[in-house]
Amino acid sequence: MLESIRTRVNNGDRLSREEGRWLLQNASLLDLAELAETVRYRLNPERRVTFVIDSNPNYTNICNIDCIFCAFYRHEGDADTYTYTVDEMITRFKASAKRGIRTVLLQGGVNAAIPFEYYKEMVRRTREEVPEIHPHFFSTSEIIGMSDVSGFSIPEVLRQLKEVGLNSIPGGGAEILSDRVKKKISNKKGTSADWLGVMREAHKLGYKTTATMMYGHLEKDEDIIEHLSVIRDLQDEYHGFTAYIPWSFKPGNTPLEKIIPTYATGTRYLQMIAIARIFLDNFPHIQASWFSEGKKIGQIALSFGADDFGGVLEEENVHASANFVHTTSVKETVDLIRSAGYTPAERTTLYDIIAEYGPEEYPAAVLNSARLSVHTDAGAIMHSLPIIQAAVLA
Amino acid sequence: MISSKAFTFRDNSLSPIWDKVRNGVRLTKEDGLALYASDDLIGLGRMANEVARSKSGDSVYFVLNRKLEPTNVCVLSCKFCDFAVKAGSKEAYEMTLDEMLSKLRPDLHEVHITAGLHPSWPWEFYIDMVREIKTQFPNVDVKAFTAVEIDYFSKKFKKSHEQVLRELYAAGLRTMPGGGAEVFSERVRKELFKQKIGAKTWFDVHKTAHKMGINSNVTMLYGHIETIEERIEHMLRVRECQDETNGFLSFIPLAFQPGNTGIKTRNDFTSAIDDLKTIAVSRLMLDNVPHIKAYWVMLTAEVATIALNFGADDMDGTVGEERIAHDAGAISPMELAKGKLISIIHEAGKLPVERDVWYNPIEIYPAKGTTVVSKMPYLNSVPFYHEFAPALKNIEVAPLMPSVLGRFARLGTVSAGPLSLRDFMSVSDRFDRLEYGIAVKGNAHSVLLFSKYGWSDLKGKRIGITSESSTSIELLRILLEKRHGVHEYEFVKLHPAQIQNNLSDYDAVLLIGDEALRNGELGGIPGFDQMYDLAGEWCSWKELPFVFAVWAIAKDVPAEAKTQITHSLENSLVSSAGHYAEIGREHGKRLGMDDAAVDAYLQTFRYRFGIDEHAAMAEFEMEWESLKRNNRTVPVGHSIAA
Repeated sequence: MLESIRTRVNNGDRLSREEGRWLLQNASLLDLAELAETVRYRLNPERRVTFVIDSNPNYTNICNIDCIFCAFYRHEGDADTYTYTVDEMITRFKASAKRGIRTVLLQGGVNAAIPFEYYKEMVRRTREEVPEIHPHFFSTSEIIGMSDVSGFSIPEVLRQLKEVGLNSIPGGGAEILSDRVKKKISNKKGTSADWLGVMREAHKLGYKTTATMMYGHLEKDEDIIEHLSVIRDLQDEYHGFTAYIPWSFKPGNTPLEKIIPTYATGTRYLQMIAIARIFLDNFPHIQASWFSEGKKIGQIALSFGADDFGGVLEEENVHASANFVHTTSVKETVDLIRSAGYTPAERTTLYDIIAEYGPEEYPAAVLNSARLSVHTDAGAIMHSLPIIQAAVLA
Repeated sequence: MISSKAFTFRDNSLSPIWDKVRNGVRLTKEDGLALYASDDLIGLGRMANEVARSKSGDSVYFVLNRKLEPTNVCVLSCKFCDFAVKAGSKEAYEMTLDEMLSKLRPDLHEVHITAGLHPSWPWEFYIDMVREIKTQFPNVDVKAFTAVEIDYFSKKFKKSHEQVLRELYAAGLRTMPGGGAEVFSERVRKELFKQKIGAKTWFDVHKTAHKMGINSNVTMLYGHIETIEERIEHMLRVRECQDETNGFLSFIPLAFQPGNTGIKTRNDFTSAIDDLKTIAVSRLMLDNVPHIKAYWVMLTAEVATIALNFGADDMDGTVGEERIAHDAGAISPMELAKGKLISIIHEAGKLPVERDVWYNPIEIYPAKGTTVVSKMPYLNSVPFYHEFAPALKNIEVAPLMPSVLGRFARLGTVSAGPLSLRDFMSVSDRFDRLEYGIAVKGNAHSVLLFSKYGWSDLKGKRIGITSESSTSIELLRILLEKRHGVHEYEFVKLHPAQIQNNLSDYDAVLLIGDEALRNGELGGIPGFDQMYDLAGEWCSWKELPFVFAVWAIAKDVPAEAKTQITHSLENSLVSSAGHYAEIGREHGKRLGMDDAAVDAYLQTFRYRFGIDEHAAMAEFEMEWESLKRNNRTVPVGHSIAA
């Protein structure tokens, strides 16, 4: 089986689900890596790894869909809720832009108290008042929420957002696109078809998006292959996905922690990156996340098919709520890529190259090494989970 | 041949190096530099993983161990260490012997002792330390004192290295840690630790230790100011020493952690790519060092896990206290319980093997649904494994000596392998026999009794028995009692680490496998005038072949796995037939055998069984049963060294 798959991968043939499942279950780690590199260098022949200088703030933590893998959300009436006004967010974006941020990945809870106008206003004013920043706003769940609140159809919501300047949306909220699993971990978030439906409509309108996967909870190997398979099929329709981004479930402070107390390991992460690179022959990029898996595992993932190192994440609150904190800086991101043996290149949200950095060169953006984290409770780091590398203490 | 796999690489420059490696040709310094210069990390990993598999199968070893650091008071001030303090400092501590003993538990197998160079502790204190631990915890082996400490003792107490080591040996010291090696470069030494011993002294201490039966490890501290060339030179010096003494058990690359040491490195931590490359390059360069350790405390558990697929076959252990690394900001947790180690090794797709300090397997922990196949680590078994590569991920291979395989087959943790005939008989209700095995008609050259006396004069004598053996012990009994009428003799088990035995204490010694072969090729063991080939003795007596081992698979192994194992064995035997010199070349070289000798040796064996072999097995069973009926079996005692 391995030999026939290797031949097919070398020929650029598409693997079947059965072949994908076989690889995931039987191929050794380095056989996976070898096949993944074959595809990686066919699609991205340069020994280059891209990154984006971005921030991941949240406008509200009030959310009504109660996902059991999430430690971030609060209910209306809880003591520590917040919802920022558009003014407040614009002020923060401006400050970010001053520090050299190029992209804001903005998401929030699904908060029925917020009118559709708020979201449109957020996009419109960002485009007008902070043109340095590319808005990469609103996950599929929020878009469905806007449709519910406004009474507009999803295509109409997307059309109106596009009109005010939105042209890319993040790929979060996919979790595992297998309803068997989705029902258990995020019953109120909708089905796989809902996520895929929003993405399809967005791609049809010309949006670019990413696709994510969150693994390491209740899914089985078959569910992972199912997930890869449905996003590959959708990609064939409009080629709207720029990149695929897997990350592992972080159990800290979540209801699911009781069932799944530990992180998926680094080895599993590398398998996830590699199988995706091999299977997703129509995805231009695979993103490794130093942020969710640790810097060293992130570096290693670059040899397992990933060609992008994600963002520098000036602000991030969701993993931080699960006591999972990695800090870095633009300089360190560049150093990590370089010391892994690649040429660092800054990109836009849409994966256009802004600049490559030669030896000893760094982007002009000078960020502090620590994120400006407003809501982070980074007290106990890695309390019950000894095997993942924790925050850098030095 | 180390591997039958012809890899293709993304980086073509690796191909000629792989050709050398898989044919057992030693790599040069230039090869080492080329490996480091390559950007094909996965290619390096595949080569190193294949080499590790040829040595250890899928096994990854760990030991239940604990570190003792009796004091942090040190007369040196090395730049890279922020553990040591001066006497009188408020952080200084000194343990009493009782405090040290209170930290140990009888279920440990190793205690790793290193300490600061204390200005005033007397020599007797160190001797007492080793002796008391060995006395109170006989199962705990003491791995103590780096070369730096030994040299310090030598100077302070005005004894030669040899004298220091001899006294520690007498107190019970059997292994030494590999610390203090840092990087064997005068340039680096002068820059970072000029008060510390240099390479010459370090090797002098270790060679002296090896020669008297103390095994040791060797480390390399990388990721500070050393160059890649200095790393390769470091490895070459280790390889050269190992050629001479064969006393190193493992090589341990240690990633430097700047912490508060004040040493300026390019990045805060070594890159993961550098960590993995260093593991892989070590495995490829150090062809004569049995094990490469992924020391998770320094490397982080996460990277260590990955390293298990890049050439490392050892995780170190459940080290309880790792003050040196911790004080410098190590990002690993303080203690990784045994269960955690096992799950990490499972995650890497490998087989956890709990070991003693000499890497003798104590227990194995296959993942659920895994079928463990034993690999007989002797030259005569190479034809079975030449192309043994079942496609199922859950079939894992572990190199096990015959006696160990027998034990694990009885426990049910190993499901297939060439079982020693006697062990097969004890589990034949749970195992199915295949028509493969190891038999010989005539001399086997690798089951030899080296004796100071003729057969009939062995009455009342003391016979050292290799602990690897299972069936051969019974064969020796049968020959002694049934053929030669010798009923009184004493069997004493030799220590499993060959280097530990002083053979001259025995009247005769039974060796098997590679050890027998090596000594036989050398013409015998000095002082032992007789050399009896037990298979030859049996064959000329019974006019039948002798069957040492029979391939068997546990009845509860799933059908698909059974089929794969059988097919894989058949493939190996078919493809190795007629190519014995080639497939056994690399292994033979380690035993000092040329192609012709390897070919002739392997030609003597019968790997497929026919009617003669079945008759031979029945005959052995009858003789053995009759011995047992007459209650003639003499128990096997243990040597003092064990």
